[in-house]
This record gives sequence, C-alpha cells and structure tokens, in this order.
Amino acid sequence: MKDSNQGRFLFNEHLDRAFLDELFEGDSVYAQIVFEDFLRDLPDYWKDVEMAHMNLDPKGLRTSVHKCKTLFGYVGFTDIQQLCQKLEDSCSADQAARERPDFHVLVERKEEAREIIENEYKRLKLFNAGC
Amino acid sequence: MKISCIIVEDIQIAADFLKKFCDKSGLIEVKGHFLNVADALEFLDKDQADLIFLDVEMPGASGFDLLDRLTYSPKIILTTSKTEYAFDAFQYHVNDYLKKPFTYKRFLEAVQKLGSEEQAPAEAGNDFLFIRSEDKLIKLVKDEIFYIESMRDYVKFVTAGKSYITYSTLKNLEEKLTGASFLKVHRSYIININKIDDIRGNTIYLQGNQVPVSKDHKEELVRRLNIL
Repeated sequence: MKDSNQGRFLFNEHLDRAFLDELFEGDSVYAQIVFEDFLRDLPDYWKDVEMAHMNLDPKGLRTSVHKCKTLFGYVGFTDIQQLCQKLEDSCSADQAARERPDFHVLVERKEEAREIIENEYKRLKLFNAGC
Repeated sequence: MKISCIIVEDIQIAADFLKKFCDKSGLIEVKGHFLNVADALEFLDKDQADLIFLDVEMPGASGFDLLDRLTYSPKIILTTSKTEYAFDAFQYHVNDYLKKPFTYKRFLEAVQKLGSEEQAPAEAGNDFLFIRSEDKLIKLVKDEIFYIESMRDYVKFVTAGKSYITYSTLKNLEEKLTGASFLKVHRSYIININKIDDIRGNTIYLQGNQVPVSKDHKEELVRRLNIL
C-alpha cells in the first residue's frame, strides 16, 4: 500500500488519487480521521436522502443530496459528486420523483463507495500503525 | 496579529478541514464554528470576527441570508460545493469563493489575498443596490426608492409603481444607506427625503404613499429638511 517512490499511502484507484494527495499532503493520519468521519456521517446524511425520496419531496432531496455530494468530495469520489449534482439539478427543475433514474444509480454507487471507504479506512489504520 | 474568524458550515468534515487549515496557517484564530445561520447571527449579535468562512446552502437560512443581516462589514470567504453562486458572490462583494473540497494551497491563496486587498484604495460608493427577491437579484437605484418598510424578518422596498420584498432588517439597511438621502422616521420605516411631497401632522406623504413619523424621529426629520 505504500507508494515506493515517496513512502506515501497510495489511495484506491477508484478514488481521485491526485486530488487526495494534494488535499492530505501526505498526512495519512488525518486521512484516516476524515475517512472515519465519512463512515460516521454518511448513514445520517443518507437517511435524509431516503426520507425525502420516499416523501416525494424535491426540495428536501436536493438539500440532502447536496450534503452527501460535499461529503463524497472529501474522500475523492469525484464521479459520485457529479452524479449528485445531476440529481440536485433535476430536483431544482422540479422534475417528478419517478422521472429521476439517477437516484437508483446513486443508491448503487453510494453502497459501492461505502464499501471502498470502509476498506480504505482499514488500510489507512494498518498503514499508520506501521504494518 | 492573527485574523479572528468564525466558520459557518453544516458539514462537520468541511468545518474540521477549515479549522485545521486555519491552525496550520498561523494567521487565523477560529472564534467559533456554527452549524447554521441563526446560531452564527446570535454570536455576531454579541461579538465580532474579522473574517467569516461562510457556506451557502445550509438548513434553514442560507449564507446569503446571513450577509443580508450583518450589521458590520467583515471579510467574507464563501465556501460552497457549487460554482453557480459565483455571480451572487460577486454581487455581495465577498472577498473570495472557495469550491469545496479545497486544498490548503487554495485556502492560503484566499487568505493572503485578504491582506493585499486591505492595502488597496477603497471602492467608490454605489448609487444603487441589489436585492434578492423572487429568486432574482434586482438592481434598485437608490434615488428611485420612495421608502422601505420593515416586515418582521423581511423589508419592503417601495418604488414608483412597484414594491419588492427581501429578507433583511431595517438595522442592516440603515448602515448600507448611510450618506444617502435616507432617514429612519419610525421603527418600521426608512424614507427617501428627496421623495417627500408634504408632511401633515405625524404623516409623511411621498408620491401618493403615506408613512408615519414617530415622536422620537420627528426632531431629526425636521433637522434634515431644508425649512425656510
């Protein structure tokens, strides 16, 4: 998991590595804290997304997806951020809830993302423990 | 001396990054972090900060609502994950605009820019202002405003044939209109002195509109009028 050239933590290839390297500047301990915070906050933020979607509440959906979008950004999921943005835009346009195919794609991607970050968090812990 | 700041941000990770960056810079002291506009305004009622890192989209009121209600002029750095607020940011004369997530390098650029702006000559005052009404930013020429009426958390601008309601307070507007021909004549009214037709008793007549003048404000009104 170490970058042989710089002795730095090498992030998962599904994440925006270049951005994360710039964001954390090699501080893998802080990266571990942020990834842990992501795993702590995402379930709560996501509850609001599900609630708004279930209640056919475009304004609530837009606000809650916006929060998730920011969260995904801090762990390097640039592609999911774009997906969130598309969904936010469709909510702003007051598109009917059933006409939002992006929502189901986002649900799938969010679940994949959570698994990737769980794994990254474990790797970061091992890395920081010197294993 | 360090710049004092507050962070108004509803996403904890984003706020933590900002705190970390402020500490790392050695230039900024964080006086507080608030998860919403109401809590930040409560703090700012009693205390001040030189700089506000301000998120735009938050539960309840937005960052722009906070800007509308500020009673002094701190430096403002907007922090948002959308670029579409750039125009609004420009209209509000914010000092910089950071798109989340941002790196320490970008943070430092924004903070260092504050120092260089302080040395620049002050901008000339405008004879117009922008208000947010019905999802639009509307330009109002100050000379064309008849009066402004307080409506709890909102104010109504009355001009020839049209009125506009926006989220603000008379207190905030009093400061923004300083030096112009505006005068508070009642706890709920600011008028444009140039638009007065006549005054009868405790009523001011402005181009077909009637506005009350209170006992407390009448003396100042009389002083400002050019009475022969």
